Order: sequence, then structure tokens, then C-alpha cells
Amino acid sequence: MNTSLKIIGKIIDALGNLCSLLMVLMIANVFYDVIMRYFFNDVSIGMQELEWHLFAAMFMFGIAYTLKEDAHVRVDIFYDAMSAKKQAVINIFGSLFFALPITLLILYFSYDYTFEAYQMGEGSADPGGLPHRWIVRSVIPVSSIFLVLAIIHVLLSNIQVLTNEDVSNPPSEEGAA
Amino acid sequence: AHADDEKKYRWRLAETWGPNFPIFGDTTKNMAKMVKEMSNGRLTIRIDSSNKHKSALGIFDFVKSGQYQMGHSASYYWKGKNFNTMFFTTVPFGMIASEQHAWFYYGGGMELMKKVYDQYGILSYPGGNTGNQMGGWFKKEINSIEDLKGLKMRIPGFAGEVLAKLGAKPTNIPSGELYTALERNTIDALEWVGPSLDLRMGFHKIAPYYYTGWHEPGTELQFMVNEKAYNSLPKDLQKILTVAMKAAAYDMYAQSMHASGVNLATLKKDYPNVKMRSFPKSVMNAIKKTNDELLTEFAAKDPMTAEILKSLNDYKHQVRAWTNLSDRAYLDNFDSK
Amino acid sequence: MTGIVLFAIALICLFLGYSVAFTFAGVSLIVGVAVLGVDLFAFMPYRIMAIMENTILMAVPMFIFMGIVLQKTGLAERLLESSAKLFGGIAGGVAVSTIIVGALLAASTGVVGASVVAMGVISLPVMLKNNYHQPTAAGVICASGTLGQIIPPSIILIILGDVMGVPVGDLFRAAVIPGMLLVIFYTVYILILGKIKPELMPPLVVTESKRELLVQALKDIVPPLVLILSVLGSIFAGIATPTESSAIGAVGAIVLSLLYGSFSFAKMHEVSKETVKVTSMVFAVLIGATAFSMVFSYSGSEYLIEDFFMELSGGKWTFIILAMLAILILGFFIDFIEIAFLVVPILLPVAIALDINLVWFAILISMNLQTSFLTPPFGFSLFYLKGVAPKWMKTTTIYKGVIPFILMQIMVLLLVILFPEYLIIS
Ligand code: NA
Ligand code: NA
Repeated sequence: MNTSLKIIGKIIDALGNLCSLLMVLMIANVFYDVIMRYFFNDVSIGMQELEWHLFAAMFMFGIAYTLKEDAHVRVDIFYDAMSAKKQAVINIFGSLFFALPITLLILYFSYDYTFEAYQMGEGSADPGGLPHRWIVRSVIPVSSIFLVLAIIHVLLSNIQVLTNEDVSNPPSEEGAA
Repeated sequence: AHADDEKKYRWRLAETWGPNFPIFGDTTKNMAKMVKEMSNGRLTIRIDSSNKHKSALGIFDFVKSGQYQMGHSASYYWKGKNFNTMFFTTVPFGMIASEQHAWFYYGGGMELMKKVYDQYGILSYPGGNTGNQMGGWFKKEINSIEDLKGLKMRIPGFAGEVLAKLGAKPTNIPSGELYTALERNTIDALEWVGPSLDLRMGFHKIAPYYYTGWHEPGTELQFMVNEKAYNSLPKDLQKILTVAMKAAAYDMYAQSMHASGVNLATLKKDYPNVKMRSFPKSVMNAIKKTNDELLTEFAAKDPMTAEILKSLNDYKHQVRAWTNLSDRAYLDNFDSK
Repeated sequence: MTGIVLFAIALICLFLGYSVAFTFAGVSLIVGVAVLGVDLFAFMPYRIMAIMENTILMAVPMFIFMGIVLQKTGLAERLLESSAKLFGGIAGGVAVSTIIVGALLAASTGVVGASVVAMGVISLPVMLKNNYHQPTAAGVICASGTLGQIIPPSIILIILGDVMGVPVGDLFRAAVIPGMLLVIFYTVYILILGKIKPELMPPLVVTESKRELLVQALKDIVPPLVLILSVLGSIFAGIATPTESSAIGAVGAIVLSLLYGSFSFAKMHEVSKETVKVTSMVFAVLIGATAFSMVFSYSGSEYLIEDFFMELSGGKWTFIILAMLAILILGFFIDFIEIAFLVVPILLPVAIALDINLVWFAILISMNLQTSFLTPPFGFSLFYLKGVAPKWMKTTTIYKGVIPFILMQIMVLLLVILFPEYLIIS
């Protein structure tokens, strides 16, 4: 269990680094477009569309990373006062009954949604816009797969807390840097 | 009464427009109201504007998937999915509204539209005409084709592609930011609709030139109905729905004409400095030439495109002779400007 | 009725402490499948795509990025230290400088947590060392750190602009005077309190000369001020859209950190990761709220709410009062993001039907949500401060300290309700 936990953790961390890169690229993209328009009188619909492609990929993939880092907002008034074992029970329950079903369902339904755009050969309707709309649509199923991985990570690390005698460290601290 | 007669259908319609958007939004409200009254409340249609469903250009997907039974939008927005959808709104240098109506209902237009939309399980109907649209608001005069080079203009879709070929720079600006963008020279020109809807945007305060149109001679909006949902309705409700769509669409044409007339008078009275212009012949010829070349290119790629184009061109050729002999002759002979 | 039950179950489940986004999505899935069937959720990809394409919301991560750069590169810290020294000589001086820096930080970012934490770490020890009245010290920090909610650029205003279909630039403009009023109220309150009871906030002993202090303060305050003014100025002057100016602000913050010599790639990596986390957190809640509102509206519950408000006597004012109370009370328990994504869409059609000015209504909502950051038991600012305050500082001390500030916020809220024609720039 420990090795699989580590491997998944590594994958999600790499995903986090990718998201940070996308974040910086997005800022550079928007900044570039502003500069080109105001100082060089040039615009490109393709570059404008690239902005939200980067934005979308950044936060969609970021959801898995954020889960692994335990940075999703909680109403923690009672949670904070609980023992680590009770917190682990809540996290296991939440993962199994709240997070996992909706993620799997989105994965299932978004496959068709993406494939449809691929079949139609859908692209931007505007001059110079980006082709292959299915690529950005595929962010939904692909990010769902990573989210399932992150949920498994949370599950495993919390099961470890439950089975572990030493409960001094809450599970969320693990792997965070 | 029969049990089936009592069954109540609650439908939802997603529209591209925001809440309280005049004329376009009135059309859907009109349609829904007629349906409710004619069906004695058996079919009710709730309208979700773009602030609700969040996806102004997602209407096609919404209706296709059945998330919404109906949609109100414009067919040319789906050009990225299927190029052939764009012909059912309007075509640059194509027919004016009255001619296009004739084409839809008697010239084979509806059949061709059905052929294009069938594969998606969507029924598409004319959804109201804006009449001839204006060529747009320009900050500088267009005297030659040179003036189009590097011109940053908000002009979406196919017309944008035509201008791009001539050196213009089409750009995407959300409608809420258009005024500021034009005011601050983020863009040099933009096209919206015409006096009926342009005045509320305030463009006349910041752009001195208002050019007449070429790119949208008779913009027809679109009602979409999910085919499965439609088939689930009893026959009488189906008829009520289609009649209400047709009546609401026709009403929009009248309303557009009315609002354009009223607003043009206001514009001329309150802003006498706005100069109404037409593009010089040389510019128009260059645009038309590029337009035809582009269309020929596309027609070579897809037999369906070729079929629709042939139908449009043949019909225009025939009906225009009559328009010339009737309306044009009348206006030329008797209308004092 | 389904919607009401769903809302209640979701609210109760939130208290388990599992992530808000997944709790909302998960509960909505269970209730939705039970009542409406699983097919409803085939629409989720469409809804998610609509969020992905939303260029208005693109400003959110970039303003967050800008704020975190200012914080992580120590720029916020320098700002606080030098202004505390500058004003420290008078009774309540550190408190006043905390308010001013709070306002400056607010004007540079929309993230509340960062400001409260920064000031809690830097000015709280200074105030405590100088025998400041503890509740007042805590209250000043919480209240000033929360100004980012209303003073533009503010994340909540961007989100409300999107949810309500109002231009974000208009909301930013409209929020300027209410935001400044709060700053003025806080400052005047501290100055008066300092005059009447100087023992509550004794002046600092300052060793440097006035001149030295002023030069240092100018060095630390002017550059961020230039950044803030250029970002906000470019929006207000209409030169850039909020999304564009957020990119300018993010690049500008990096340039500043280069100028102060505090830039490093490692820090930027950290800032970027931090931004990804905060952004993804917000958008996960948005997606969860989408699942919720889908079930809510498909079960017909929104019409129930609409009918309820439309049938109330008193029309507009009854609605405004009930809506404000509902948001205030919900704000005790749930976060502003959930309120913006869940409750506002329910109230919006009623507001439109009653012909209420949406810019004004949005400002009222965001003022109200600002108060929810300070109200016990679930005030986020209270939590943030508790997190960085000395262990011996009691929660009740913080609660006590924020009360005068909550009262001032309610006073300003009432002023904006009553005199929109003077206080809202349109
Ligand atoms: Na702010
Ligand atoms: Na609260």
C-alpha cells in the first residue's frame, strides 16, 4: 500500500507542477495579447482562445492536486476538534460517498461529450480560431481520471491513519510541501 | 376528457441572449406565452437566458443532448460544428428577409435545413428576422481596400473570414465590453445589428461613421427543438408549438422593422453628426470577390455545401428579378429620400 | 420541495467537515439520482465546459497570483513595518497603519486570508508588545484584512458580476465609495478611541528620525501603490478589461519583486502552486454548486422560491430585507463562495422581476458577505487570525474585538441601502 501511495503521490505532484506551469503560461498569454494589441496593433483570435484553454486545463487538473494537498475548503468547526482517527473516518466516508461517485459519473458522461466533438470535427467558428475543440473537451475526462487517482490517494492515506497506532500526524500533512 | 389530454408538459428553452434583451428576448417570451394560452396551460415553456445556463453558445449542445427541449439562437453560430449550418441565418450578398422567407417556406430552404440538422436529432425553425443589418460602426472612413488592412474589427463568423482575407484583423470581444473596446481604440470598428439594437449600446456616441450592410442582408434567428421531445408531444401540441414559433418569428420581423425606424429617427435627431455611409464600389467589389472565392472553395470540399449554395443562388437569381421590378422600382420611382 | 430538502441535507453534511465542493456535488448526486434519475448528470460535462470557457472568471486566478506574489516576496511585510513605524508615534498609530495597509492590500488583491494572516503575523505582535487592548488589536486586524472583499479588485465582485450578468468593471467602480467609507469609519473610530482611552492603544517608542521614517515609508509604499493605481486605473479608465488588467497586475507584481531584489524562481514556483490550489478550490466549489443548482432547478424548486417572494407584500423592500437577512444568517455557517454560487442565483430572478438595480444589489450582497467573514462562529477572518495569533489568545477575545467593526459594517451597509444615489458610482 505504501508504494502505491507514493507512486500516486508522485504522479499528482507532477500534475501540480504542470498546473503551475499552465498558470504562468496563461498570465504570459494574456499579457502578450494585451501588449500586442495596444502597442503593435495586432490581434489574433487563436491566441485569445488559447487563453481560456490554458485557464481551463490549469484549474481542472488543479482540482486533483488540490485534493491531494488537502487544500479544498472545509467547514472545519467540528472537524478541527476531532481526533485524527475520526477525521480519517470522515475523509474515507466523503471520498467513497461524495467525491468518487460524481467523479466517475462525470468521467463516464464526458467521454461521449469529447468524442462527439472529435467526430464532428468541431473547431472555433471565428476567423483564425483554434481547431480541434475535442482537445480542450478532453480535459474533462482526463482530469477526472487524475481526480480518481487523487481520491484513491486520500483513501489510502486515511486508511493508513486508521490502521496506524501512532496518530500524532493528521493525514493531510503527508506529502505536503 | 381523455387522460392524455390532461397531461401537462413543462418544457425549458435556453436562449443565447441575456435576460431582458429586447426584440430577440421578446420573441421567445411571445412564443412561450402563445403556446401556454393556445394549449390552455398543457404545454408551458420556461425560458433560461444566458445568465442562467451560462453558455450563450452552448444552445446547440443543450438541445441536442435534451438538457433543454428548446433553444433560441442563430444557426451561423454552429459553423464550427458544421459549416453548412451557417447558410440558414444569412449569407453575405445573399437574399433580403422577404426573399429568404420565400426560400425557406416555398423554395426548399426548410428541407435543406432539415437535411443538415437531422443527424443531430434537432428540428430547426426560422426564429425571427432582424431585417437588413448595418455594416457597422467605424472610427475612420473607409475609402479604399487599403483602409481595411490592419483594421481591428469585431465581426464574427464567415464575414470575419472574408475581411481577414483582405487584411483586416477580426477580434473577439464579449458584448459587455464592446463599447469600452471601441471607445479606447482596442478595436477600430464593430458590427452589431442595426438601429433597432445598436442604440442601447451607445456606439453612436463614440464612432462617427455608420456604414450600411453587406454581410447580413436578412439575419434569421433560429428556434431549435429536440426531436425526441417533439415526438413525445401529442399532435395538437406539436401543431400549437410550430404555429407559435412561426407567429413569434414573424412578429419579430415586424418589431425589428418598427424599432429600427423609431431608433433611426432618434439617432438622426439627437446625433446629427453621425455620418451614414456606404462602402465605395471598389471596396464592395473586392469584398464580394473574396466572398465568392471563399464560398467556391468550401463548395468544392463538401457536396452538401454545394447543394445549399446552388439552391440559394438559383433562388436569389429568380426572386431578385421580381424584387427589382416591384420593390426596387417602386422605391426608386416614388420614394422621396 | 426537493430543492429545500437538498439544501438542508447539504448544509447538515457540510458540518461533517469534508470538502465543501465534493459534499455539495455528492449530496446533489444522491438526491438528484433518487428524485430525477441519473440521466440528469449527463449534462455535467456541458456545464463544466461552460465554466471552462468563461473568460470573465479568468481574472480570478491572476488577481490571486498578484496578491500571493506581494505576500510571498515580503512586499506586504515591508509595507506594514514601515507604515507602523510612521504612524506609531500617536495613540492608536499601529492600529491606524494596520487599517491603511489592509486597505492597500485589499486594493491589490481579492484574497482575504492572505491579508489577515500577514497582518496577524506582523502587526499583532507589535500591538501586543505595546500593551494594546487585546480585543481591539484582534478586531482591527480581522476587519482590515477583510476589506479585500469589497475594495476592488475583489474576487467576490468578479464572481457576482458573472453570476448576475453585470459588467465586472461597473461593480468595481460601484464598490469604491462603500469600501472607502469602511476605511474612514474604522480609522475615525480608532482615532477617537485613542483620544478618549489612550491606555487601550499606547503610542510606540520610535527611535528613528521622522525624516528617515518618511523616506523608508515612501520607498516601501509608493511602488505597490503605483501598481495598485495602474491596475485599478486601467480598469476604471476603460483601457483594459478586468481580465487584462489582472494579467498586467500579475506581471507588475513580479517586476516589483525584481526591483526589491526579492524575486526567485523557487518563490515563483511556490506562488504559482499556491495560486493553483486557491483557484482550483474556488472552481471545484463552482462545479459542485453547478450540480447542486441543476438538481435544485430541475426539481422546480426555483419557481417555489420565486413564487414565495413574488407573493410577499411589500415588494422590493421586503425582498431586500429578507434577502439580506438570509445571506447574513447563512454567512454565519457557510462560505461566501457557496453563497455566491448557490443562493444568489436563487434570488436573482426575483430581483430582476422586481426591477431592482443589479449593481446596487450586488454591492449590498458583497458588503453583507464581508460581514460574514467576521461573524462568529464561522467567520473566516476569525479563523485565519486564530491560526497565527499566540496560543494564549482566546477565541472569545477575537469575537469581542470584531463586534464594533461588525456594527460599523452594518451601518455602512444601511447607508448604501438608503443612499445609493450618493454612494454608488455608476
Ligand atoms: Na480587493
Ligand atoms: Na460568519
